[in-house]
Amino acid sequence: MRPHPLCTPADHRLTRRLFLGATAAGVGAFALPAVADELRKQRRQVLMVWLDGGMSQLESWDPKPNTPFGGPYRAIPTSVPGTHISELLPHTAKQMHRLAICRSVSTQDNSHSAGVDRIQRGDPKNRGVTYPYLGSAVAKLVGAGDSGLPPYIWIKPGNGGFIDKHAGFLGAKYGALALGDGKPPENLLRPATLSAGDDAARNELRKLADKRYAAGRAGGATEASSHAFDLAEQLQKKVHLFDPAKLPAKDAERYGSHDLGRHMLLARRLLEEGVTFVKVTSYGWDTHGDHFNGAASLHPKFDRPFAALLTDLAERSMLDDVLVIVAAEFGRTPRINGHLGRDHWPEAWSVAMAGRGVKPGAVVGKTNAKGTEVATDPHDIGHLFHTWFTALGLTPRKARYLNDDQPLPIAHEEMKAIPGLLA
Amino acid sequence: MPPVEIKKPLTPDAQLSLVRFSPCGVVLAAAAHDGTVRRFDFTKPEPVELPKLGGHNGWVTALAFHPTTKRLFTGDSWGKLVAWDDAVGTAKKGWEVTAAHDGWLRRLAVSPDGKAVATVGRDGFVRLWNADTGEKGKAFDGEDDLLAVAFHPGGALVTGDLHGRVKVWDTATGKVIRTVENAELYRLDRIQDVGGARCFAFDSKRETLLVGGAQPKTGGFVQAIPHLFAVDWKTGKRLHTWKGTSDNEGYVHDVAWHPAGYTVAVTSGQPGQGKVFFWKPGEAAPHFTTAKPNCHSLALSPDGTRLAVAATNANSSGNGRVKGKNGEYPANTSPIHLWTLPKSG
Repeated sequence: MRPHPLCTPADHRLTRRLFLGATAAGVGAFALPAVADELRKQRRQVLMVWLDGGMSQLESWDPKPNTPFGGPYRAIPTSVPGTHISELLPHTAKQMHRLAICRSVSTQDNSHSAGVDRIQRGDPKNRGVTYPYLGSAVAKLVGAGDSGLPPYIWIKPGNGGFIDKHAGFLGAKYGALALGDGKPPENLLRPATLSAGDDAARNELRKLADKRYAAGRAGGATEASSHAFDLAEQLQKKVHLFDPAKLPAKDAERYGSHDLGRHMLLARRLLEEGVTFVKVTSYGWDTHGDHFNGAASLHPKFDRPFAALLTDLAERSMLDDVLVIVAAEFGRTPRINGHLGRDHWPEAWSVAMAGRGVKPGAVVGKTNAKGTEVATDPHDIGHLFHTWFTALGLTPRKARYLNDDQPLPIAHEEMKAIPGLLA
Repeated sequence: MPPVEIKKPLTPDAQLSLVRFSPCGVVLAAAAHDGTVRRFDFTKPEPVELPKLGGHNGWVTALAFHPTTKRLFTGDSWGKLVAWDDAVGTAKKGWEVTAAHDGWLRRLAVSPDGKAVATVGRDGFVRLWNADTGEKGKAFDGEDDLLAVAFHPGGALVTGDLHGRVKVWDTATGKVIRTVENAELYRLDRIQDVGGARCFAFDSKRETLLVGGAQPKTGGFVQAIPHLFAVDWKTGKRLHTWKGTSDNEGYVHDVAWHPAGYTVAVTSGQPGQGKVFFWKPGEAAPHFTTAKPNCHSLALSPDGTRLAVAATNANSSGNGRVKGKNGEYPANTSPIHLWTLPKSG
């Protein structure tokens, strides 16, 4: 039998021999390079910061000061000599040696409805199935790890819930557990009036009912419902993660008290706990009007907590494990409309990344002097999915999903990783 | 008699932030997004463009003439402040301060006696400068992004901030004499601060301060209903309010007081939405309104007979790669529409 092209959970376990060898040598043996490497291989995590609506590349990663579409802001030097970004990201500029920027992103959709889906699903060739969002894909391909927490957690403003549609054909259990406003689902904890034994008995009864209901039916809804209960059970053991009182005050100050700051701080905590994929979404970046004042308000609220997060991940040696991605459905037009806004622009924009498998300090691709065209090889989202999967130690050119018996590529088969972004 | 539009707008090839007439009324200066100052000579039957003034960076966003001389002061979004001598003629740089503010110099005003220039910036500071030499004077911390500044004809300084607050400053001590809150002019939408007190004018009797802005409904697109307040200068009490009817109309971006006793104001909202209107505080509705796409500034000649409005070309918005007539990626511009006005209003 041909070996399965995907890694399996067993591949991520320490071998018994290695484990016994290490423990025989004492706790200090975990510091041995071989053991440390093995442990590091175990952790493959992703943080995706999704700036919904589209952050302007010109006021962030690819400034064009003193050009016709450059806008009012300056470019500032970064910790990487020769690389400049917008003055609206001064803290991130000091983290540039940990970041890589792809300035040659050129994608297909200039509408939100199509763009959000296409970017987050990696825009594979049409195979007649709905592909998973990156979070669901990584949950499937990498697995849940040993955190005891769901593999794909989505921190977002507004309502939460279990979002199974992100999973596409992978099935509901790879959906996103959405934490509305970073809070755990309501009524998560067992009421004090219900004993643990009664609770367990009720759950058994529920599982039995689910099983009977699901027999002979298509599995989606029941699977999702059942999985939601499993997630709740997992989360019950980790409620301390959501208690702000457990945090040092200086962390809250460094990240900020606004939604994006609080949510990035929670993301750090979830990553520390070992969650495989954490997505933080911020809404309101669709600045068609008064864009430059909007950017003056919005960008600093990304800049400070993002820089704090990179610093914290680095100080905890977690950038070896965690792939960090900052993306949106598109960038914003060079042309400045009459409302002093920038409109949707998939033609030539930027995506930033850091951490696991990423070449620190790299800047790949460039746009022309006015920022209106990609001046080097353009890179679609398929290229980026290849890059991110490769950074995670996967082999996107070979690996396949199995949709029942149908093998499906995990990323666009006519594209490949962008070498300059990979460590 | 209604205003008469001169059906031949000026057509600078850039978007503009601000337009102002010289005190002699013969030159219109315009602050442009390409880092230049455009000038138009109105002494001929048709306005003639004079050489551009360069040396700025980013956008030129602040501009004011000296009240009695031919000196022009300009400021840009990188923080530079420049004084131009003979700005209605050959225009030579008198002095410049490269970093008057850390970043965006939002607006400037010249004191009624012509001795001081006040600038406000995104860095939150009010700064005073010697108008003759550019020497740095006092600086006050406005503790917010400051969007507007004006001198009361009596000498006090007034600033407008992102949160809609209007502060009156004692320039000798740097103390805030009075703060007028305008809560309607600000909204925190998700994580975006939206709004602000954006423009000022005083009536000719020095009794009323006009404050322009908008009541924001959303960030992002910035849906906002334009507002114009008439505020009693002595008490800070709001006397009259004009507000638009739709949140597509956007901000009151500029306002001036016509010598005949009414305000002239302009708005810019969703792409294509904009108007010029004349309103006498206390009137239920403007007595003159005309639509022009996205009006960002206006200039009234000192005698009140000429009005210039910097608007925007039609079809200024669009997602994706919009193409111009020749297949090029087009930039937008700010046509300057002109009217003649009766002195009496």
